[in-house]
Amino acid sequence: MNQVWVVVRREYVERVRTKGFIIATLAVPLMMMGLMAFSIFMGVQSNQSEREMALVDYTGVLGDSVAAGLEGVGYTMEIAAPSEAGVTELDQRLEDDEIAAYMILDDVTVSQGAFVYRSKDGPGRLFRALSERIVAEAALSARLAGVEDPAGLRQLLGGGELEFEALREEDEASGIDEGVSIITGFAGAMLLYMSMLIYGSYVFRSVMDEKTNRVVEVVISSIRPWQLMLGKILGVGAMGLTQLGIWVAFVAALALAGLPLVASRFSMENIDQLLSVLPGVGILGLFLLYFLLGYFLYSALFAAVGAMCSREEEAQQAQVPLFLLLGVPLMLQLSTINSRAFDWLNWVGLFPFFSPILIFPRAAAGTVPGWMTALSLVLMAAAIVCTAWVAGRIYRTGILMQGKRPTFRELVRWVRAA
Amino acid sequence: MTPPAVRLVGATKTFGTHTAVSGFDLEIPQGSIYGLLGPNGSGKTTTIRMIMGILLPDVGTVELFGGVPDFARRSRVGYLPEERGVYEKMKVVDQLVFLGEIRGMERQTVRGRAMEWLERLELGDWALKKVRDLSKGMQQKVQFIGTVLHEPELLILDEPFSGLDPINQDVLESIVREQQDKGTTILFSTHLMEQAERLCERVCLISKARKVLDGDLKEIKRRERSSVVAVEFDGPPPRIAWPGVAAVQEVGDALHLLLRPGASHGEVLAAAVADGAALRRFERLEPRLHEIFLRHAGENGGNGPTEHGEQR
Repeated sequence: MNQVWVVVRREYVERVRTKGFIIATLAVPLMMMGLMAFSIFMGVQSNQSEREMALVDYTGVLGDSVAAGLEGVGYTMEIAAPSEAGVTELDQRLEDDEIAAYMILDDVTVSQGAFVYRSKDGPGRLFRALSERIVAEAALSARLAGVEDPAGLRQLLGGGELEFEALREEDEASGIDEGVSIITGFAGAMLLYMSMLIYGSYVFRSVMDEKTNRVVEVVISSIRPWQLMLGKILGVGAMGLTQLGIWVAFVAALALAGLPLVASRFSMENIDQLLSVLPGVGILGLFLLYFLLGYFLYSALFAAVGAMCSREEEAQQAQVPLFLLLGVPLMLQLSTINSRAFDWLNWVGLFPFFSPILIFPRAAAGTVPGWMTALSLVLMAAAIVCTAWVAGRIYRTGILMQGKRPTFRELVRWVRAA
Repeated sequence: MTPPAVRLVGATKTFGTHTAVSGFDLEIPQGSIYGLLGPNGSGKTTTIRMIMGILLPDVGTVELFGGVPDFARRSRVGYLPEERGVYEKMKVVDQLVFLGEIRGMERQTVRGRAMEWLERLELGDWALKKVRDLSKGMQQKVQFIGTVLHEPELLILDEPFSGLDPINQDVLESIVREQQDKGTTILFSTHLMEQAERLCERVCLISKARKVLDGDLKEIKRRERSSVVAVEFDGPPPRIAWPGVAAVQEVGDALHLLLRPGASHGEVLAAAVADGAALRRFERLEPRLHEIFLRHAGENGGNGPTEHGEQR
C-alpha cells in the first residue's frame, strides 16, 4: 500500500505543479471573478452619478409611486413642481450637473406607459429596464383603480397559471416547479461529463506515456501492475478533486462576497431567487458521490485502453468507444431535459456507465424516485469492482505489449490468463 | 550451493512467423560479469525481456535466482531497458527519488544517495532540472543511476553504453566494474565487441536468434588462439586463395587471415610458401572477439527485424 501511495503522490504532485493545472484552476475563476467585479464596479460607478434625479408629474397620480419605486432600487428622487418654470429650472440644474436626469410623467404615461427622460447622456440599460417596469406598474395601478376586482385583472394580465393535479396522491410532489433545480442538475451533468472525460483522458495519457517510453518496464519490476494502476487513478482523481474543490470554493466566495453587493441594489425578493439557484449541500454531496463513482468507473476503462495503445496515432481512435459511452447519456439528457414524457430514461440511467449523467440531474430535479438513485449508486459501486478487475487484467498484460493493438479475442485471453 | 542468478533452458520466443530467440540455454553464475553479444536484431533484447518476465518464453524455462521471475525476484534486479525510458517532465532528482521509493527505500535516504550519484556522474548541477532539458546522454546516465540506486543483486543492462561519448563510457565502465567488485552479478548486452572484451569475464554470442558461443572469455580466446594469423609481405600482397583461409581482413600494413575451423596455421604457412609469397611476417594472433564472432556467425548476422516486441 505504501508503494501505491508513492505513485499517488507522484501523479498528484507532478500534475498539480504544471502550469496548465495552475492556469486552469486559478486563472479561469479569477478571470470570472474579475469580470464580475468589473461589471459590478462599472455599474456602481455609472449609477452613482445618475442617482440624483428629479421627477415632474403632470398626472398627479403616478409621481409618488414611481418615486417610491425608484428609491427602492437605490435612486434619490425629488418631485418638482409640474410647471413651465419648474421644468426650466430643472434644465438649468441639469446643465450645472446638480442632478443627473429628470423624468416627465403625463397623460400619455397613464394611458400607454410612455414617459420622457431628459439628461445629457442616454439612460443606462439598468435604469431603462427598472424605470420602465416601475412606471408601467404605477400606470397600471392607476388605471385599475376604478375597475372591479383589480387583483384578478392584474393576475390575468400577468398570464395564466397551470395547476397540476396528480391522478394519484403520491405523485403530487412531482408537480412542483423544478425550473431552478433543473438548471442545477443540468449544469452538474455537464460538469460530470467534462470531468470524467478530462480526468479519464489524463489517466489514459499517463498510462500510455509510461508504456511508450518504457518507464513502465522498470517500474513494474518494483511494483505490481494493479498498484501502479490504482496509484495513477487515485493520483489523477485527487488532482481532479482539488481542482473541483477550488472551483466550488471560488463560487462560494463569489456568492458570499457578491450577494451583499447585489443586495444593496435589488430588493430581497430577487436575492432569494439568486440563492435558490445555488445548489444545496445535499445536491453537492450527491454530485460528489456521482463524480467519484463515475470517475473510478471510467478511469479504470481509460487505463485499460491506454494500456492497449503503443502509438500516438492509435490513441484517439482507441478512445472513441469511451467517448461514445460518455456521449450517449449526455445526448439523451440534452434531448429530454424538462420533458416528463421520458421517465423511462430513469431505467436506462440504471446502466452504471450512464448513471452519473442521466440520474444525477433527475435526482437534483426530484424527478427520479429516491430508491432508484440509491440503486444506481449501488449498481455503480458493483460495476466498479467488475470493471477494475477486468481493466486491471488488461492493463497488466497491455503495458508490456508493443506493436499492434490487441483484437477482442486477445483481450479476452488477457483477462482470462491467470 | 547458490543457484545461478539467471538460467535459461531451451528458451524459445516467436513473434508470428519471426523467431526472435530459439532454443536458448544460458547460465549466469552469481557474482560474474556476463556479456550478451550479437548484432542488432539477433535476440539480445528479447532474451533480456524474458529474463525480466516481461515476455514469457513459448517453449523452455527462464529462472531468476533459482525460480520463476516473479515479482519478489524481479525486485532484486536493477534493469536498464534499451529504450531510454524516463519521465520527461519530472525533475531529475524527483525521478530518482520516485524510483527509489517504489523499491521501498526511505525518501531521505534515496535523496541523499541520488545526489551522491548525480555528483559522481557530473550531473549535480542538473538535479533540479527537468529530465527533458537534459541531453540524451545525460538522460541515459540518470536512467543508469535509477538502475543501481537500490543496490540490486543483479544488474541487467541492455545496451548501456550506446549513445555515450568515450569519456562517459569509461565512467560507466568503471562503475560497472566497481559494482561487480561489490559482488553484484552483471549481465549486459552490447554489439560493441571491444567493450565486451574489456569488461566481461564470460560472454555469450548470439546470432540470428541462436547462441553460437558461450563461456569464459579467456577460455574462449585460448581455444580460438590459432584461428587468426597476421601476415605481411615484402612488396604488394598476393591474391590469397590458400586452403584453410576463411576470410581476409586488411589491418594496416598487415592482412589478418581467419582460418576455417579445423585448419591449422602450419597448413596455411605451407600453402603460402608453396604459393611463393614473399612473407615478411607470419604470426598467430590472440583473436579479437569480433573475429571470433565473425568466424562463428558469419558476416551476415545482422539487421534482422527488431526484437522489441510482438509483431503479428
